[in-house]
Amino acid sequence: MAPFLPATPAAPASRREAFAALKAAMQGGRSAPRVHTEPLVATGVQALDELLGGGFPRGILAVLEGDLGRRSIAARLLAQATCRGMAAVLDDGELYPPGLVQAGVRLDRLLIVPAATPLSGARAVDLLLRSRVCGTLVMPALALRAPVWARLAGLAHRSGTLVAVVAGGAATAELTFAATVRLRCTLERLLLCGSRGPWCNFAGYDVRVELCKHKYLVPGTRASVRALEIAGEVTLRERAVERRGLAPAMERAVV
Amino acid sequence: MLVCIAIPQYRLVPEAAHAAWEDFLDELDAMSPLVDDRGPGLVYLDMRGIAGDPAGWMAHASELAQHLPDPRIGCASNAFVAFAASGVAGGRVCPAGDEARFVAPLPLSLLEIDPKTIERLRLLGVAKLGDLAKLPYGPFVRRFGIESARWHEHARGIDRTPFRPRARGVAIEASIFGEGRIEDETQVFFALRALLARLCDDLERSGKRCGALQLEIELEDAGRAQIDVPLATPTADERGIFDVLRATLEGRTFQAAIVGLRLQAARLEEGGERLTLFAEDDVDAQAVGLALARLEASLGEPARRARIVPAHPLEERFGYDRFSAPARAHGAKAEAPAFSALSAQAVPQLRLLHVREIQVSVRAGQPAAIGTPARNVLECIGPWRIEEGWFGAQVARDEYDVLLEDGGLYRIFRQGERWYVRGAYD
Repeated sequence: MAPFLPATPAAPASRREAFAALKAAMQGGRSAPRVHTEPLVATGVQALDELLGGGFPRGILAVLEGDLGRRSIAARLLAQATCRGMAAVLDDGELYPPGLVQAGVRLDRLLIVPAATPLSGARAVDLLLRSRVCGTLVMPALALRAPVWARLAGLAHRSGTLVAVVAGGAATAELTFAATVRLRCTLERLLLCGSRGPWCNFAGYDVRVELCKHKYLVPGTRASVRALEIAGEVTLRERAVERRGLAPAMERAVV
Repeated sequence: MLVCIAIPQYRLVPEAAHAAWEDFLDELDAMSPLVDDRGPGLVYLDMRGIAGDPAGWMAHASELAQHLPDPRIGCASNAFVAFAASGVAGGRVCPAGDEARFVAPLPLSLLEIDPKTIERLRLLGVAKLGDLAKLPYGPFVRRFGIESARWHEHARGIDRTPFRPRARGVAIEASIFGEGRIEDETQVFFALRALLARLCDDLERSGKRCGALQLEIELEDAGRAQIDVPLATPTADERGIFDVLRATLEGRTFQAAIVGLRLQAARLEEGGERLTLFAEDDVDAQAVGLALARLEASLGEPARRARIVPAHPLEERFGYDRFSAPARAHGAKAEAPAFSALSAQAVPQLRLLHVREIQVSVRAGQPAAIGTPARNVLECIGPWRIEEGWFGAQVARDEYDVLLEDGGLYRIFRQGERWYVRGAYD
């Protein structure tokens, strides 16, 4: 006679809970980013890394566009890169090295290449990518033709270097085509510390980062990235920003 | 026995005597194969196994040093006593076994200790080395620190400092002359490759690496061009050196055909690689050096490295230096990353704009609208008074951070009655 097996002691309610948990896990798995095996360059900013599924893929051309927060993200990339090896930045005259130091960039490992013209800039990037001396390269969006961007993207792929292009406003069509990852940054709110006037300090800002293009991830996802220049416990006052008009107005200001 | 030659004038101003001192050291090679160079103005010669007596050695040394200003020569069994003997007028020889008695009447200043300590010792009744030698070793060292153990030994005529003979100069070079004329760039590189192969073979054979090259080019019109090629790290790798050499020569033109080439290895170092278990991720200095040479050849200006000069809490000054490949960092010497590198947050970056005058409407003493067409200021932070040029023309300005209605965040400043834009946050 076969032994009699007692019924499972689980109550119907706990079964439902288990089923709900399993369903949630499966849904989570479906909506999670597709696993890709390429090595990633983490930015160290949790919200941004989650948005990118772990970080920027190596050997690609990534475009950071928008009005505010692009260079903060680029500085994080440089900080991470100079912790491990060399990084390079193409200087179009707008570089402020003390800000980079504050972001954790090691200046002894940061190669600053002056770019007087788009041609010399492209040539310098070409040389740096072929020499494979730096893991991350940050450059402004130079006025280059599509084949040049395509060549730089190809070189970045071959050398395994992450090339982060900081574009003012929206990136050009040529650059957009060559880029593998595109992020758009928009100011969400200003963070202040103190009351007003001389008793008030600028503490930082929250930037909304939107994924516009990615090889593996769904475009349109967003994350909020906080950039703060004050460390430690401080009381922050937030000022939400409702954008009106174009951002880089001052750069075109009539004098 | 050691012979000490001291030149007090060179010791006071070392940089003034560098070339003459090197020549003098080369001359001393004729007297002894073991020469311990302690910097400009002080050298010891190990005379063990050399024929002659101390008086003869001192006479020989005096003859060699006669062109130097006020040479002092002494001879003893160890370096400290020989140095002490050189300080005595006319030079002296201290017989072996008589060191303690020899140094006993000499002053404490011979120990090269700071005046404060000498004063402390004087208050304790110690004025001469002999007085110091009489003090009990243990309590004296406990009172004056570990460094005083050496003073006590010196006062007793003992010197345990090892003798470090200087390395003998080796010249490694290769040249090619009188084998036709070169007009084409590829021919130059071909000839250089052959020269470099010979040079690197010589480096390998002598167990050396070179930190720089000197290329001398002889032209058909009797002109000469000398090109210094620094290498990022001392090496004997033929291919790496050739790449740097080629990158340095790219874009150079000469007025006449080349008829001779001479390549000399400079800054020679001993071969071998320093290894460590705890080195951080190192960069390939040779690859960086090659990239730097190519960048300079291509762009016409070198790659730069930023240097921060703290000036003001609100705004720091910075400058640029020529970039050089970072040195290999070992263990604890590795530069620690800055604080922010460890914190997981972004930091606002100021983007420097070309400083320009702007139109600003002021309300209640603060900017209310900026630019043309006017954009309202949503938030104004400041002012901060920055005063510069206190040593010359007085420059004072008030800086503000302003958030405009279009979402732009700018740093502006007022100087006198005029307003300027300085940068934008990004």
